Amino acid sequence: MNQLSDFTDGVFLIDFEFRPENGREGNTPEPVCLVVKDFLSGVTSRYWKDDIHSRSSAPFSVGRNAICVAYFASAEMDCFLKLGWQLPENVLDLYVEFRCLTNGTTPPNGAGLLGALLYFGLPTIAAQHKDAMRDLVLRGGPWNPHEQLDILDYCGTDVSALEMLLPAMLPTLDLPRALMRGRYMKAVSHMHTTGTPIDTQMQVEIATYWDQIQDALIEEIDASYGVFEGRTFKTKNWADYLQKEGIAWPRLATGRLELTDETFKQMARIHPKVAPIRELRSALSEMRLSNITVGDDGRNRCLLSPFASKTGRNQPSNSRFIFGPSVWLRGLIKPQEGFCLVYIDYSQQEFGIAAALSGDEKMMEAYRSGDPYLAFAIQAGAVPQGATKKSHKVEREQFKACVLAVQYGMGEISLAQRINQPVARARQLLALHRQTYRTFWAWSDATQDEAILNGKLWTTFGWEIRVKGQVNARSLRNFPMQGNGAEMLRIACIFLTEAGIRVCAPVHDAVLIELPLVGLDEGIVKAQGLMRLASSAVLGDFELGSDAKIICYPDRYMDERGQVMWDTVMGLIQKIKGK
Amino acid sequence: MLEIAKTSESTSPFSSLRLTQNFGETLGVKKVLTTVPVGRPSKDRFFRTHSSPSWVFPTWILENKASGETYLVSAEVASALGDQVRAVELYAAIDRQNNPFLIPIPLPGPNGVRNRWHESLAQAVERAKSVWIRISANKDLGGYDIFEATAKLPDPVWPDITMDELLEVAFKGRVITSLDHPIVQERLGKI
Repeated sequence: MNQLSDFTDGVFLIDFEFRPENGREGNTPEPVCLVVKDFLSGVTSRYWKDDIHSRSSAPFSVGRNAICVAYFASAEMDCFLKLGWQLPENVLDLYVEFRCLTNGTTPPNGAGLLGALLYFGLPTIAAQHKDAMRDLVLRGGPWNPHEQLDILDYCGTDVSALEMLLPAMLPTLDLPRALMRGRYMKAVSHMHTTGTPIDTQMQVEIATYWDQIQDALIEEIDASYGVFEGRTFKTKNWADYLQKEGIAWPRLATGRLELTDETFKQMARIHPKVAPIRELRSALSEMRLSNITVGDDGRNRCLLSPFASKTGRNQPSNSRFIFGPSVWLRGLIKPQEGFCLVYIDYSQQEFGIAAALSGDEKMMEAYRSGDPYLAFAIQAGAVPQGATKKSHKVEREQFKACVLAVQYGMGEISLAQRINQPVARARQLLALHRQTYRTFWAWSDATQDEAILNGKLWTTFGWEIRVKGQVNARSLRNFPMQGNGAEMLRIACIFLTEAGIRVCAPVHDAVLIELPLVGLDEGIVKAQGLMRLASSAVLGDFELGSDAKIICYPDRYMDERGQVMWDTVMGLIQKIKGK
Repeated sequence: MLEIAKTSESTSPFSSLRLTQNFGETLGVKKVLTTVPVGRPSKDRFFRTHSSPSWVFPTWILENKASGETYLVSAEVASALGDQVRAVELYAAIDRQNNPFLIPIPLPGPNGVRNRWHESLAQAVERAKSVWIRISANKDLGGYDIFEATAKLPDPVWPDITMDELLEVAFKGRVITSLDHPIVQERLGKI
């Protein structure tokens, strides 16, 4: 299927209007209407709410020889799943393809449907009218006959837009890979529908006591620092504290103290005594409990925003997605009775991708050893053959930091700060990486050359980034690892959801899946097998392993980085309740 | 349950769509060697020498201590300059950062004997053909101490060029083939 004429059963341009069930964010959609246009015959069909809810399947062919075209297709697929319809075999998402076409540049009018139309010089409906009609849909029913016609007409304008946009974009489309991306949009829809189970009782409890918790947290932690006034972090007080403790703190060009979370994170490594204040700041600033969108069924659902980032990764809202805010809040994730949640993440994904795609045999050997950091130290001759994580803990940590520094494009000064060693040691480690993994470095250099000379880079399945204007060499060198990591997780999500495994959410290089307690082990083996298969699809037969963390009812999910904070908050709630 | 259900767990349904990541392969970008120092390595620099005889070049050199420059001179010029030039063998060497350089080792005098420093340097260069070493002058002994790297370090990767090309970079603009060369004129007291 390389061209539209191959789809002999029809090319269907579709658009749904919908609102969240009961008007509540976090619920699955309530389809309001559907407009379908057969691109080849020109026939348009309009279906109001009752017409679609009474059907058991889509009113057009969804089989192998038909193709369904939409703009941001996961929304349409969400409606399919809600209606219990079989998903279309072939999905072409013009939003995803427009993102791919313009990735790395800034389309003047954004990546929405109107932005895409304007990009190609096509006429659009007024944005104001669009907003008004969207509000009408979101208001909820009942809609009078006149409103119904308005909504259907509005839905029809989006289909007409698709009718103009498709021929304009057609010459730019790489159809087989576009369909692969469309297949991921179906997986996204499965994940939207599944959602992540939340302990709503605890969410309410934290929200109820949050004001008192904040005050108690400040009182407890800030007692040793004296930097808060009320709930406000005072820079002046922080400067006084730093002076008193003799801590040299990074400053901005203006001379003011650098107060980003990243700076606190880095400095907490060098001066562990500042770690608690960093935790406190983070907890107070990122706590947006009420924004986490949880449906009537107690599941967190939000737009996963697939392909939104330059690397092609999902970019869900930080405040709405349960994996977005501070890590301690992930303690709210709790499996339902009879079920387990399994968090499966690829082991050292970036290192493995770099090894396989660069073809660096030594790096691949290090990955296969199961402990690439220690293997690197052995290969560099820094520790003897037979060294173990236990016998050479310090060296392993330094070589690990070096590998991560290379991945993040860190210089010798940042690495030195991270490992709390002189700059000379950091320089030495970075030189050892270059000397040990020469093939990787030659490929990394070539990646940068390619981007600058030819103006673009691409992943194994054609997600492209264009390079214009001032370049960030570090990002360019890292693009193959990030972009292909994104490809890998997309394929994993496709395999998992199509195999009937309930994927709650994708999380960077991991997935959270939900399995029944009965048959748990088999389910995990199957899921890890599919993730391995996804890795070899991207890396050409080089497989990446994965780690599985299992949480069974009545336990809750917990990120070890958030354990202390969670325990503190729980303790405070008990204390407050006991008063 | 689409294609995956029909696919064995060992092959990917997407393999035919996979694009290579051979960035730069068609661009032909390569590192250009622009500088090749000539001289003894500093005491903190581990190095190896090339084990092939074709990477050793016997010649005469003229050292200008004031400017720190070394000139390659032809046989005709060398005979005119007498003891101002040195008969040496230039050994191709490379450090851990993959930077190539040339080590000149003076040849034995007419009596067939080398001074102890030169003999010691020749021994070090021979040893560096198989192991990573660094050298440090020991004035009490009148020779170089040799320190071997104890770790099993990878062999060096030599640049993809010939010894002639290496010499060309090392002595670019500093080859003396005529008695009219200003340096020769100066050394002969003619200017």
